[in-house]
Formats: sequence, structure tokens, C-alpha cells
Amino acid sequence: MTARRLEIWRGDASGGDFVEYEIAAEEGMVVLDAVREVQRTQANDLAVRWNCKAAKCGCCSAEVNGRPRLMCKSRLDDFPATETIRVEPMRAFPLVRDLVTDVSWNYEVEKRIPPFAAREGADWLIGQADVDRMSEFRKCIECFLCQDVCHVLREHDLKLPYFGPRFMVRVAALEMHPLDGVDRTDLLHGEGGIALCNITKCCSDVCPEGIRITDNAIIPLKERIVDRRYDPLVGLVRRLARAMRRGHS
Amino acid sequence: MEGKHDVLVVGGGLTGMRAAVEAYDLGADVAILSKLHPTRSHSGAAEGGINAALGNASEDSPEEHAYDTVKGSDYLGDQDAIEVLCEEAPADVYQLERWGAVFSRTPDGRIAQRPFGAAGEPRTAYAADITGHVLVQVLYEQVMRRDIPTYEEYFAWKLVVDDERCQGVIAWDLLGGGLKAIGAKTVILATGGPGRMYAGSTNAYACTGDGMAMALRVGVPLEDMEMMQFHPTTLASNGVLITEGCRGEGAYLLNKDAERFMVHYAPNAMELASRDVVSRAEQTEIDAGRGIEGNVLLDLRHLGAERILEALHGTRELAMTFAHVDPIYEPIPVRPGAHYHMGGIDTDVWGRTALEGLYAGGEAACVSVHGANRLGGNALMETITYGKRAGHHAAEWALSHTTVAVPPSLERESERELQMLIDRTDGERPWKIREELATTMHDNFGVFRREDQMLAQGDIVQGLRERYERVVVDDKGDVFNNDLTQALELGFMLELAQCMVASGLARKESRGAHARPHDFPNRDDVNYLKHTLVTWDDGEPRVDWRPVTITKWQPQERTY
Repeated sequence: MTARRLEIWRGDASGGDFVEYEIAAEEGMVVLDAVREVQRTQANDLAVRWNCKAAKCGCCSAEVNGRPRLMCKSRLDDFPATETIRVEPMRAFPLVRDLVTDVSWNYEVEKRIPPFAAREGADWLIGQADVDRMSEFRKCIECFLCQDVCHVLREHDLKLPYFGPRFMVRVAALEMHPLDGVDRTDLLHGEGGIALCNITKCCSDVCPEGIRITDNAIIPLKERIVDRRYDPLVGLVRRLARAMRRGHS
Repeated sequence: MEGKHDVLVVGGGLTGMRAAVEAYDLGADVAILSKLHPTRSHSGAAEGGINAALGNASEDSPEEHAYDTVKGSDYLGDQDAIEVLCEEAPADVYQLERWGAVFSRTPDGRIAQRPFGAAGEPRTAYAADITGHVLVQVLYEQVMRRDIPTYEEYFAWKLVVDDERCQGVIAWDLLGGGLKAIGAKTVILATGGPGRMYAGSTNAYACTGDGMAMALRVGVPLEDMEMMQFHPTTLASNGVLITEGCRGEGAYLLNKDAERFMVHYAPNAMELASRDVVSRAEQTEIDAGRGIEGNVLLDLRHLGAERILEALHGTRELAMTFAHVDPIYEPIPVRPGAHYHMGGIDTDVWGRTALEGLYAGGEAACVSVHGANRLGGNALMETITYGKRAGHHAAEWALSHTTVAVPPSLERESERELQMLIDRTDGERPWKIREELATTMHDNFGVFRREDQMLAQGDIVQGLRERYERVVVDDKGDVFNNDLTQALELGFMLELAQCMVASGLARKESRGAHARPHDFPNRDDVNYLKHTLVTWDDGEPRVDWRPVTITKWQPQERTY
């Protein structure tokens, strides 16, 4: 056992600060274990969201030493032994208390995405290669770390019309379902705001599931929109039509 | 009253969501109440798959599925309930596919099925090794599509019983604070298992058996509570589950001499014997000094990097993160860990309990399809089929009855009780009691059970319950008060632990997960081909019995 120092952000919407704690760390401990140990023994009123402790439920998202991470998947021994580990809530979302944030904005966005609906006459035979194509996207556990780090959302207090990387992944999974019959490109281009993503790839960097969000979800979706909406021939016809209208007026 | 519905589903995992969707489709006003956002539920951690006799990988039939399940249950499963499950399973799986669940495929494009422990045919449909997660996402989409209201982060604490029927729930609002009463003509408990009462459990922190304890407290019997399943492959560090899919793919179990020790315990099925058999074999090896620091080894190396990356990618991630082992190059140290409670709230095949208006499904319930030992892949199937059936019956009942009443006196009484707990300043912190419960249950009521240890455990739990009377919550606040909810959860688990020990003492035989090698090493069909039923009698568990329902399979010796 070794002593580890943690700084945990304590407070609510009206304000707060970091408080330092020290725990006896055991082999294999993760940050969530350490935070639970603090709650158990030193700060009984510490608010934290958790559940599966196996990187599957997406509850325990936080910013650890300034980087969005799942607390349950961050081993203490990944940080230098002498370093104080600083844990704070995700900053892109409204604070509830201590490490708990209100992520309900995401659940509201999710409701705006049309669900899977099978193409008419689908035969329900699917090739494994088609399954493989979408398998990366459905690994998403909705921890919202990508939403937290996305500067379009974070720096504009969720006010810009962009669904965020998580929901680009969701749309990608639906669009690449081999039997899906819904076209979501207008949604993405419109209220989904995909154009606001300027592919800095921060989201991919923090994804605990290793989903290559930008390369494999967002860019192909952007391309799909270009394909469907910006057919050069159609564009030419539109421009001609506009020119003719101007000519008439 | 905060709200009023035809049907209130408590729990937002697979059972709860499937029940809610069914009730909605029958025209009921249904709501879900859960202490978590639904997609955070522990159903999402299920890795391996879902069993249905689709017959895509071999000749298979619901009857064969039923026989394997009966045998796997060590003949304690009710055969009528098992037949319902196995007959409805294929259509229920195809329904999930129609809702957008994409399973792994056969070369000709149908749903692939892989072999699982104690199954006569490859019968487990799967979505790589994230089957539960995929199904949770798909069902949540169906919940959203129907706009089913969800009381999210509401902690259900008490059932409302009035006029001899269940009429709602009293819950603590985690985000807003305060007790809220929600009235409903029918309530479905889909709150999962109590695995957290064990040190070394695959279960999420939320798995504290809340619904079971709530039912117990209003006089509803709990069935086969002694039957806690220990999964053979869990990680020592934090109990994280390594899927049975590994062994389905061909992984070996080795002792410290690199011997495939299963040859001594199940020479035919080897690593794919049923879970109780494999867990006992591992524990025997470990106890005999043939383990490595309390573990045996799960060896995947011969499967090859390509297959591991394709079919067991998530498992590799878990092993690398939590055990610092890459299974492509090294075997994973594993040991048995508390995983699934076969026992639960006694229900019929429509999820009905002894209390009118109260239903249960999934791990919270005991219908009983798993008997003394659950087969891998049958839990997910049970959540879907019996979630659907509970939702169906609860909706029909609700639609043919009109009134709901939550007596204000009950609300006031609950508020007083909670306030007493919050106001207490002098006493013991809950985590000490919780920790003692978890370590002693692990030591005294684990893979093997001894009379003297069970008796001692009964006394220990009784002592912990007395200490719990003076438990102190330090957080007095309203907003996300983990301290309070953990104290309430502990109260649930203590009562359930006492039921488990009482049932275990009463069952003087070895059957499935209940292994008593020292005094009753054999199964005793003459005296114990029956279920334990525990009720709360003046603060003490009372054990009654009910015969197993047998339709066509008479008990036989069980070997693998």
C-alpha cells in the first residue's frame, strides 16, 4: 500500500473549490476506487455517479488531471506516484454537485434522432462484413466524454446547433445498419449541425472505447451529405435556374 | 402524489424496458422508474449472448433447449416455466432483430449461434461480446420512440399496499431530493439481483436487490434464495466478468501446473460444463494449492490474435485494463465470483406475485427457469420473454381496473421513518457493516457451504442487522445523497442475506449452486425436489416449501 494524494472538486452551481485528500492505495486501484475510498472514510457527503466499475455503463465520467476520462478505467499507477491526482466534474455540462453533472441535454438530443426502421421488403439476411462495419459505433457507452471535450459544445455552453460527436456516432450506427430505411442526412445537415465540426479529433482522443469518431463516423457522414446534397449536376441546374430568375426580374 | 399510471415499472434494465414496451403497446399508460438512467443498467454488462433454439448453427428445438435448461437447473427449475421460455424465445429474439438489434451472423447471413456451457447445441445468439449493451440500446430506442415517461434517478424504497393490493411506489428523488409517491394500478419489479452483498462480485454497484427486499417487506415470498451463482471466470482485482464466450470460443482453464484440470471434473464437456460445476472445480483446485494466488488461468492464446480481436475484443480490453494482461500473449488469472441470483420474488409464468397488482421479472424474480443453476445465455432470454409477459399481464389487469390510491398516512409514515434515519447523529457508518456483510458472505456462504459456517453467518447477519438499527448517515443534504441511498441499500441487503442463509440451512442436500460436500454431498430428490419460500415473520425469516413443477423430464443423475 502506498499513500496517494487526490484533489477532488467540491461544490455546486453556486461555487466550490478543490479539496485535498490522502488515501492508502492498493495494487490495481482505479480512480473510482480512490474516490469511493475518500467518500467512505473522509467525505461522506461527496456526490459521485457510478455503477458498473467495468467501463461499460458510462456513469463515472470526470476530468482527471484535466483530461476527460472514465474514473473506473483510470488506474492510479498510470499516474506518477508522487503526482496529486486532480478529479473534477465534466465542465461542459451544468453542475449538480461535486462530481455529478446534469447530462440530460444529451438525452434530449438523442430523442430527436429517428430510430431504426427497416427498409420495406428487407429479407433480414445480413453479411458479417456489414455487421463489422457498424460494430465500432455501437460500442459507444454514452459516457459523454466526447461531448465534454468537443469545443463546439464546451466553449459555447451547448448553445450552438450541433448534436455533438456522440450523436454523430449514433447516427453512423443507424445509417450503416444494412437494413435501415431512414435517411437522416437532412437532419444532420440541419439541426444536427454536422458542418460545425471542424475535425480537430479531440473526441476520438478521449473515447474510452477507442472509437475513431472523427475518421470513421463524422467524416464519412459529412461525405454522405455532400454526396446527397451537392450533386454537381444538380448544383449547375440550380445555379442556372437562379440566374434565369434574376434575368427575368 | 407525484404521478399516477396504469403500470409502473421499477427498474430500467432489459426486463423493465421490455415490460414497459409491451404494456405501452397494449394501450396502458406506463412509466419506468429507476435509480439510474436506463442505459446505465447492469443488463448492459451482459457479454456472452442470448439463448434461443433458432436452429441456425445446427438442428435444434425448443424442446432440446428446455431439456438442457432443466438439466442445468439440477432439476429445480419449474418445467412449465422453462417450456414457456424456450418456446417463445425464437420469436422474441427475431422481434429484437426487427427493432434493430444486429447479432453476429452465419456465413449465409442468418443469426450466428455459438456453443455455451451445458448446452447440447450451439444456441447462443450474440452481438460480439457486447450483447447486453446492444440490446439495452435497442430497447431504449423503443422506449424513446413510444415516449414512455421515465422517473430517472429515483430510488424506489417502499411499495404502496392498500386494500390488499399494490398501488404504487414511494421513492427518493436523487437529484431533487425528497420522497415522492407514484401511484399505479400495477407495479412491475425489474430491479435485478443482490450480488453486491458479496465481496468479489461481477455485479455493478447498483445491484443491491432492492425490489426483492421491498417485496419481502410487504409479505411476498422469496423463492430459492440460497441459489447464488458463482461465475467461473472473474477478475480478482474488481470482480469484473470475463465472458463464458471465451470458453465457447475454445479457451482452456489451467491450474498452476498448466494442466487442463476440468478433465478430472467434467471429462466430456471440459471447460464448457455448467457454471456450478466449473466454479466448484476451480475452487477445489485453488483450495488444494494448485492455483496461483487464489486464481486459476484462462488461456486464450491458442485461439490466435485474429479470432480474439474479432470475437473477444471487449474481453481483451477488460483484461488489459483491469488485470494488466494481454490475452493474446498471456493467460488471464480468474476465479469464481458472485454473479447471478437464481432466487428471487416468487412469480407465476405471467410475473404475478402473491400480492395482487405486484409483478416481477428478470433477475429480481424467480419464476423459476434457472432452478439451482442458470445456464449462460438464459438470463438475457429470461429478461426479454418474461419482461414481455409481465408487461402484458400487468397492462391487461390495469386496463380492467380503475382506481389508484396512495394513502397519505403511508407517505407521512415513510417520511417520518426516513427523517429518523437522517436525523440520527450517534452511531455506526454504513460502509463498515456493508464491508463485513460482503466479506462474511463470501467466506461463509460461497461456492461451498458448511453447516457450521452457515450457522455462524446467520448470527453474523443478525448482529449486523442489530448494528444497522443505529446506522448513521453523515450527508444530510437533498441533492445526490449517495450516503443515504447506500444506507438504504444496505438495509435491503441485510434482510436478503438473512433469507439466503435461512434457506441454505434448510436445504440439507447438494443441488446446483448449493454445494454441501461435508455433510450432504448428494442431491436428495426424495426430500428436496422442492423450492424454498421465505417470508418475513416478525422480523425473522420463515422457510416454507413448494414442490417443483415437472412436466416431462424426471430427475436424472447430472453429469457433463
